[in-house]
Amino acid sequence: MKAIEVENLIKRYGSANVLNGINLTVEKGEVFGFVGHNGAGKSTFIHTLTGITRKSSGSFSILGTPGGELDRVKKKIGVMPDIANLYQHMRGIDFLRYMGNLAGDMRTKRSYEELLEEVGLKGAGGKKIKSYSFGMKKKISIAQALLGDPELIILDEPTSGLDPESAIVVRKMVTRLQEEGKTIFLTSHNLDEIEKVSDRVGILTDGVIKKLGTPRELKAQAEGGVQLAVRTKPVLTAEVVNELKEKSGLNLAFVETKREFTLLQLPSDDELPRLTRALLDGGVDLYEVKVEERSLEDVFMNA
Amino acid sequence: MIHILKREFTDSIKSIRAILIILFITFVSYKSALFLKENPFLISELGKEGIKAGDVYSAGLSLIVFIFGFLFVFAISHDIVNSETEMKTMRLLVTKTSRPQVMFGKLLGATLFWVVTISVSYAIISLISQVWNGEEYLRTLIFLFYIICLAVFISTIVPKTKLTMFLGILLGIALPILGSVSMIIDKWYLVPFKYILPFYYLDQSFGYVLIPLAIGIIFFLMSVLIMERRDL
Repeated sequence: MKAIEVENLIKRYGSANVLNGINLTVEKGEVFGFVGHNGAGKSTFIHTLTGITRKSSGSFSILGTPGGELDRVKKKIGVMPDIANLYQHMRGIDFLRYMGNLAGDMRTKRSYEELLEEVGLKGAGGKKIKSYSFGMKKKISIAQALLGDPELIILDEPTSGLDPESAIVVRKMVTRLQEEGKTIFLTSHNLDEIEKVSDRVGILTDGVIKKLGTPRELKAQAEGGVQLAVRTKPVLTAEVVNELKEKSGLNLAFVETKREFTLLQLPSDDELPRLTRALLDGGVDLYEVKVEERSLEDVFMNA
Repeated sequence: MIHILKREFTDSIKSIRAILIILFITFVSYKSALFLKENPFLISELGKEGIKAGDVYSAGLSLIVFIFGFLFVFAISHDIVNSETEMKTMRLLVTKTSRPQVMFGKLLGATLFWVVTISVSYAIISLISQVWNGEEYLRTLIFLFYIICLAVFISTIVPKTKLTMFLGILLGIALPILGSVSMIIDKWYLVPFKYILPFYYLDQSFGYVLIPLAIGIIFFLMSVLIMERRDL
């Protein structure tokens, strides 16, 4: 049984397709990161999966239950939709208790306080939510998603707007939840964070998943091959690189010079020995070579 | 559902508007019952007209509810659904439970508030008169249930709370007038009000109260259907 299975999901607002035929499978126990530009459809996708909005066409199932019978599995899903959805007039602890009751989570008051402490809101349970800072609202929104011991946790940008320390707490929590066997589906604008916590990543552009795979696979797919930073004497210029290219037949490209380093591009790191030989044959002394790993950001920008 | 019911009930009962309405209804019930107790000749005179003593004692309360019921219910419950959709808290609720459960919880919470309010008033009347007019009690509750269902319906189809507040005041004044006038004046344009509003049925024998009860349920079921299809 898959945690999430989506087939040709379309969500239309008027004549505009916000989700334009999404196909996706998320395995149980997986941390799946969903990234995309603002307005790409990430939140709409979450809203459609969680019953906040209705799909226009296509199909999906959550924990093996078809989307049309979603009510049957709602207690097994924890959702953090957005901080705008909180009851501002309630005290933090009352809000959690109310949400807990709805989720079938009948824990003690002490246990709610422990949950608040876990998300970094120790001692804030007695205050009204309207007095909370943005970060605190985000944290209590995450806390309510964890109520009821859900199997699948869906978090919409859980760390945006959080200070680095709180973001680390959330990341550690995601890792811990995965270790407990939970499936996590999260969206974020922070690609570094997505890369750190996700087993697989989907890049959503204009309502379609353009790239899908593990962070490593995606980076390997990135266009432009391998980028190298070489420290040589003399420092390489574009002219010298062109000369080397002609002489060696290497598919080498000059990118830029950064102080004593020259950035070069090769189709793959298999060409590195040939480049080394070509440099030495060309009378260039090689002191250092660093392979600059492609980031998820490069993948995202090319999606 | 039970937790939404409890939340709706406690939110209703804690509001200033609700407290004022409870005080007003209770005060009128108490004073009118006390007045009748101190003037027994009025009861014997009305008794000669075939009116039961229990009806006389609860008449003050019934009159208040039938005149101001729409206004009172709309004052408390005009935003029963759309406040949650406007504030987007409905999104949170529907991720935890089903939409019909949310709607049932809200309806029952609001109904419970009025059951408690009216029961307290009837308890005060019965303490003074030693009579509990069960038929009139149920008639009053069904009348209020009809209005709650209408408030839920309006709050579901109108997304803005400010607009439902305005509509609530407008309808709270207009509907009792239209309902009463339609019972007296036989004009074609008043016929819908005669048969859709509960006033005509409440003036008939007790069995007729099932009709406003059914209309109220239809309003509510339409609200659930609309909510089921809506993007929140």
